[in-house]
Amino acid sequence: MIQRRHLLGATALPLLATASRMARAQPRKLVISGSGGVVADANKAIYYTPYTASKGVAIEHVPAEQQRMAQLEAMVRTGRTSWDAMEISASDYPLGVKKGLFERIDYTKVDPQNVLPAMARQPYGVGVAAYSELLVVRKDKMPAGKMIRSWADFWDIKTFPGPRALSARPQSNLEFALIADGVPIGKIYEVLATKEGQDRAFRKLDQIKPHIAKFWKAGAESVQLLSSGEVVFGTTFNGRVGALQKAGLAVEIVWAGGALHLSYIGIPKGAGNIADALDFIRYRTTDPVPMRAYTAKLSYPGFAPGLADGMPEEVARQLPTFPANASVQYAADAVFWADHLDKLQERWNEWMLK
Amino acid sequence: MTSALARWRATWLLWPALLLLVLFFIWPTLDVARASLFDPDFTLRHFERLVTRSIYATVLLRTLWVALEVAVLCTLIGYPAAWIISRQPRQRQVLLLFALFVTMWMSVLIRSFAWVVVFGREGVVNGLLLALGLASEPQQFLYTSPAVLVAMVQVLLPIQIVTCVGAMTEIDSGLVRAARVLGATPAQAFARVVVPLSLDGLLTAFSIVFMLAMGFFITPALLGGRSDLLLGNLIEQQVGELKWGFAAALAVLLLTATLLALSLGRGIQGAVRRLSRTAA
Repeated sequence: MIQRRHLLGATALPLLATASRMARAQPRKLVISGSGGVVADANKAIYYTPYTASKGVAIEHVPAEQQRMAQLEAMVRTGRTSWDAMEISASDYPLGVKKGLFERIDYTKVDPQNVLPAMARQPYGVGVAAYSELLVVRKDKMPAGKMIRSWADFWDIKTFPGPRALSARPQSNLEFALIADGVPIGKIYEVLATKEGQDRAFRKLDQIKPHIAKFWKAGAESVQLLSSGEVVFGTTFNGRVGALQKAGLAVEIVWAGGALHLSYIGIPKGAGNIADALDFIRYRTTDPVPMRAYTAKLSYPGFAPGLADGMPEEVARQLPTFPANASVQYAADAVFWADHLDKLQERWNEWMLK
Repeated sequence: MTSALARWRATWLLWPALLLLVLFFIWPTLDVARASLFDPDFTLRHFERLVTRSIYATVLLRTLWVALEVAVLCTLIGYPAAWIISRQPRQRQVLLLFALFVTMWMSVLIRSFAWVVVFGREGVVNGLLLALGLASEPQQFLYTSPAVLVAMVQVLLPIQIVTCVGAMTEIDSGLVRAARVLGATPAQAFARVVVPLSLDGLLTAFSIVFMLAMGFFITPALLGGRSDLLLGNLIEQQVGELKWGFAAALAVLLLTATLLALSLGRGIQGAVRRLSRTAA
């Protein structure tokens, strides 16, 4: 028995050695987890391919949408982190920080000249894109001469009949309901933190509930509902609207009362190639040239200095951070949601079933 | 002693399968149970939440009911189809079963999504109704409970049929012919010869479909309305928020409910068999 084990050891060792030699001989590689669909296409064309060409670092894109954080926690817990960098949505950021799932960002590597604004320089993630969750309407299905301009209009089923869609999460929807009920955008979270405020939001949602044809779960689903005519008005993410318009669909964004979010790019705990990941993050967040091309394709602008220089007016107008757009939206509070999600999610589920 | 040893020796063929089950099924299942009770110290708060908030009992009952509906519909559609398939000549039978298997090569996600195209406001069914003048405006089929039911039946039907065919090919056609010669109508021959002989296969298929339906979450998420929330959807939601403890408690609830329902089914099955034997 002992002999046999010895024999096994003797054969396994050189094998292991060969395996690690092979790993070292492999070209440098980054595995990046990010959104799928049009977002992935734009990242590949504008960031990955040129980066690989100039730095010799191959990039593998892992599309993830629904359960990215669960996957991440499972990887970190088992000590097998297979991603080197990842997109982090606004709501996932506080969740991951609380659970210790991200590596601390080394800003001497990412932003040595300190060109990024403070809001983008977070300890565990670098602000990469502003995005909005907002109301989008099919102009071609609107009553003649009328146009939805606000959340109050969305609730006005007499003037604007037709099936509607909202996301299947309490986040944003409770805020939208309060805005429709007359709460000023600067006071939303103050109101929502109280029991009365929550009651008020759910009461308002009661009114619209019968007219919501679908509570969507994935971002891709939200635009499919609009393009297939399943709904006439619905919420979605602003960057997906451009693709719909280019496909010839008469959709228009209602900026008023939209939720302005900030997403990050960060490094999962225990990542294998942190050095290259930091360099890619520097390129992804501080270089204005590719970011301008990216923003022209998808209206998710970042904070690279000089991004707006020479940007055509019609591109700038589509950005969630364009002054006229930013001023009518509210800043979504990810920390509020991380603190209140448990209770509000349960109440939301009960409300959905009622 | 020697015979016991011989019997012990004969079991070695089972060991690889058993080892696989213990390592990749039983151990993870126990780990889920552990996660529901230790978060990180021993706690009953997850189960307390399951019991004290009424929503979880509501969703559990809904899940059981939907799984039962799916299993009954699959039986009603699949059982006669399986009989027809089992009576075909060998070659045609293989071809028909192959056609069934082909549909199972596609993912549940894609098969479910296909119904969006069929049931949509601008979809095939509504287009037909409008063109034939049977409806004046598009009807809401999509995002309703019946849409979920239809899609779940479609996804699980092949499993029902294949399981039943396996049990039915064993039945000697001569027995049916004998019943007919002795004066039974075709319906009587089916009910009194085929049904008793294939009852075990039928109930096994019913159980498998029921069990699989209990765990569905993609189909209701894609095709259902806001109230088509099954236990699987709640688990998915909790996992997404990294609430592993409560997700594990929900999983334990799902597993327990499924096992209880199945053992209840087994009990009924035993009673039915005893009854049919005494009747005979």
